[in-house]
Amino acid sequence: MAANTGILRRPLAPSGIWAWMTTVDHKRIGVLYGVTAFFFFMLGGMEALVMRVQLASAESTIVSATTFNAMFTMHGTTMVFMVVMPAGAAFFNFLVPLMIGARDVAFPRLNAFSYWLFLFGALLMNFSFFMNAFPDMGWFGYAPLTSNEFTISNATDYWVLGLLIMGIGTTAAGFNFVVTILNMRAPGMTLMRMPVFVWMTLVVAFLIIFAFPPLTIALTFLLFDRFFDTNFFSDIGAGSDPLLWQHLFWIFGHPEVYILILPSMGIVSDVLPTFTRKPLFGYTMIVFAGAVIGFLGFGVWAHHMFTTGLGPWANAAFAATTMAIAVPTGVKIFNWLATLYGGAIQFKTPMLFTLGFISMFMLGGLSGVMHAVVPVDSQQSDTYFIVAHFHYVLFGGAIFGITSGVYYWFPKMTGRMMSEPIGKLHFWLMLIGFNLTFMPMHILGVIGMPRRIYTYAEDMGFEPLNQMVSAGAFVIALSIIIFTINIVRSVRQGEIAGDNPWGAATLEWSISSPPHHYNFAVVPTVRSQYPLWDEDANVVTPPALPAHEEPIMPDPSYWPIVLAFAITMVAGGLIIWQGHAIAGLTVISSMGLLGMRSIFGWVLEPMEEEQRVSVHH
Amino acid sequence: MVRFPKFSTPLLTVALMVLLLAVLSACTSPQNTFDPKSDAADSILTLYILVTVVASIVGFAVLAAMVWLLVKYRAKPGVPAKQIHGNNKLEIGWTIAPIVVLLIILFPTMFWIAGTADNPGPNTLEVEATGHQWWFEFTYPGLGPEGGDLITANELVIPVGRDVRVTLHSDDVVHSFWVPQLVGKTDMFPGRTNVLQTFSAYEVGEYYGQCAEFCGAAHALMRFRVHVKTTADFENWATAHNAGPVALEPGTAAARGQLGFATCAGCHAISGTVAQGRIGPDLSLFGERSTVAAGILDNTDSNLKAWIGDVRTIKPIPEGARFMPTFKDTLDEGQIADIAAYLNSLTAE
Repeated sequence: MAANTGILRRPLAPSGIWAWMTTVDHKRIGVLYGVTAFFFFMLGGMEALVMRVQLASAESTIVSATTFNAMFTMHGTTMVFMVVMPAGAAFFNFLVPLMIGARDVAFPRLNAFSYWLFLFGALLMNFSFFMNAFPDMGWFGYAPLTSNEFTISNATDYWVLGLLIMGIGTTAAGFNFVVTILNMRAPGMTLMRMPVFVWMTLVVAFLIIFAFPPLTIALTFLLFDRFFDTNFFSDIGAGSDPLLWQHLFWIFGHPEVYILILPSMGIVSDVLPTFTRKPLFGYTMIVFAGAVIGFLGFGVWAHHMFTTGLGPWANAAFAATTMAIAVPTGVKIFNWLATLYGGAIQFKTPMLFTLGFISMFMLGGLSGVMHAVVPVDSQQSDTYFIVAHFHYVLFGGAIFGITSGVYYWFPKMTGRMMSEPIGKLHFWLMLIGFNLTFMPMHILGVIGMPRRIYTYAEDMGFEPLNQMVSAGAFVIALSIIIFTINIVRSVRQGEIAGDNPWGAATLEWSISSPPHHYNFAVVPTVRSQYPLWDEDANVVTPPALPAHEEPIMPDPSYWPIVLAFAITMVAGGLIIWQGHAIAGLTVISSMGLLGMRSIFGWVLEPMEEEQRVSVHH
Repeated sequence: MVRFPKFSTPLLTVALMVLLLAVLSACTSPQNTFDPKSDAADSILTLYILVTVVASIVGFAVLAAMVWLLVKYRAKPGVPAKQIHGNNKLEIGWTIAPIVVLLIILFPTMFWIAGTADNPGPNTLEVEATGHQWWFEFTYPGLGPEGGDLITANELVIPVGRDVRVTLHSDDVVHSFWVPQLVGKTDMFPGRTNVLQTFSAYEVGEYYGQCAEFCGAAHALMRFRVHVKTTADFENWATAHNAGPVALEPGTAAARGQLGFATCAGCHAISGTVAQGRIGPDLSLFGERSTVAAGILDNTDSNLKAWIGDVRTIKPIPEGARFMPTFKDTLDEGQIADIAAYLNSLTAE
């Protein structure tokens, strides 16, 4: 019999705060990711509004330069690492096992560990706000501005450590989902029968595994420069090279763009068939285009660096690869449009957001191709044209896609429908606000407004368009308030959804809403790509199961959260160490020991608690 | 069934482009990239317009197709969806189509890159630009006294119609040199030498430039000007620059300021005088400049006095950063006014 390896009793209650903190259920972890991402979405949005208030007038003095710089740094860092990535993770977690007919992910405790590292890393970085050290050197952290010589406070330390901690969790999640998707599919769920969302998750998981190491290396170099006086980026005369940072950052940073957008491409590929009532046009092409984007994504990073003087050969090569990546992206868009052809299109809210995604993302893709033209980029780079471009891709693309996914799977997650009228109001306000905000930014870029400036002179002629942009930002804010109202209202009093409210075709809709903690009473056998539509292959209706024969699922564990906490506090100790050596070393060593203890506890913990085992047998 | 009027997509695009150009001309900005004033900026704009037109045609065509599909295939009672899984010929077709469109912009891009190879002609004016937090320094090798360097700051002076080749350096963090109407931007790196695309200005005038890479707290206030002069004016400027200040009448504010400038001489240089500090911007011929504080304020007496008195009310300089001290506590108003008078007496006349 396995001994109790814990110090505390293992919590087994199915509800309550302690149950959520120790959960290893992929659906609960998905909800945790989603709620946390939404919280940070609000935070990042408020940071954006501060910027828009400041820029609404020329030579404005509402906030200081340092505050403004901190706002754009943390707006970018927050939206990329604490909003869009975890929102993607929320869907991966909640949906992938349901879509492939599995009862959980391959490594449930590792999954919980990923989430807690993300949360604690994000909290550590944002804690800097209360220490008067909010990072203000840009989300891209270009060397040598990040070195001790130019950053006097701890701001950059919080940023580096927060990103490193979140990166550990993300990398673990990448491995977890590769193993889950490749090994835990139900019988008959061949790779080419998987929903496109699962395919895109697989591509994203591989991108994470290969893209995060360069970032981790860059951050570790920087960490050593800052804490231990090494010389990777800081002392130019002694041979360090600030351009190295840019290469490492962007060979992570460009695949990261696809880590952010591919989940949304997956979402819309699964929403489209449901609301056109027909199969996805060119499923194979869409899947392979996604994989090709993943591969090419590693070969285009230097288009972020066309103005750094790489020389004509490098510029020509990266211009060509950047244009090449437009081809698979275009193929996807054409196939989505072709899915509309011959359909019986229902304009429900998830479908509206999907259509918003396709159109806005396409516009962002086209302005992206413009940057591939090196001379044009030499005028556009680091101007508001770029800001416009990547908001069309990441807001018009990723956020519209994610919102579509929220409306689409909310009934499965909560058992209740979201309000259609409020949802439609949300969509139109967001679409109008979005274009009002980001369309004029193209023109601002053309007339020469650089990015990351906290003020501009009156004679520059930037003011009228900036006023329009700021007004649009508040329309977006209003649409998000309406979204929040819709969520809160629907969780409590939304119409009861039933198993398959949209008449969709994929496996997650064959089980109850919300699903049991074990998902599938009987693991289904799959014979088709659209199991719930193909009548002769419709074998997934689960047989009724006697109550006492629930499948055995792993019990909750508190080791993931304790280990994640210990790792985060070791990083915190490093920051304390700079000011107070003894206190810092005490925190580092005690938390290090707690971390070691957690690893032992984790490894030796039985899947099920003893008293539970005796009930089963 | 809604009947859509038969819009010709290219026609619609042209109409919208005209609208866009109207908006652009309404938004007059001294940094408007669609209003080029040099051969380099002009050649960029040609490509800029080409890709804008191509992207707009594709964008409007796809949007129009989407709207048409949405209207035509909206759910109607009794009309089931066609169960189509794909069509290989079509899919190959729309893989090739974007390739063809991309080739239309790929070739001009490659020719442009090939055409900008760095091989300066004999009559090219060489300038070295160095970025500092938060100002620009310009050095003209060979144009200074006795064939040495001519050094100035924040306002680059160049002759009209002559090729100018700027090499770029940085003294601290990464900056970027950008004069939208004259030339696209290139970054200024510490420990590296970059070369700006060679350009030749079309018209005499004053052009706005700005640092385009985030370089710390005062990044937004790191600007500069480019004065394009006739060849004769340019040569006069250089000669006056090297000659140094004319003898000042004793007892005037400017003369008192020249003595007071000893306080500043540790960091600032004025050619032809004992002031040869190289930590801050060179202030030779300051009276010729149109701005104070790296392109931020008009060069008026009151702005200059405010700047000397307390730079920190004008630029957000972080604590501990290497920058000009605040002088309002060490110099009285009269002394500051004298120094301002001296600086603005430094003209080419």
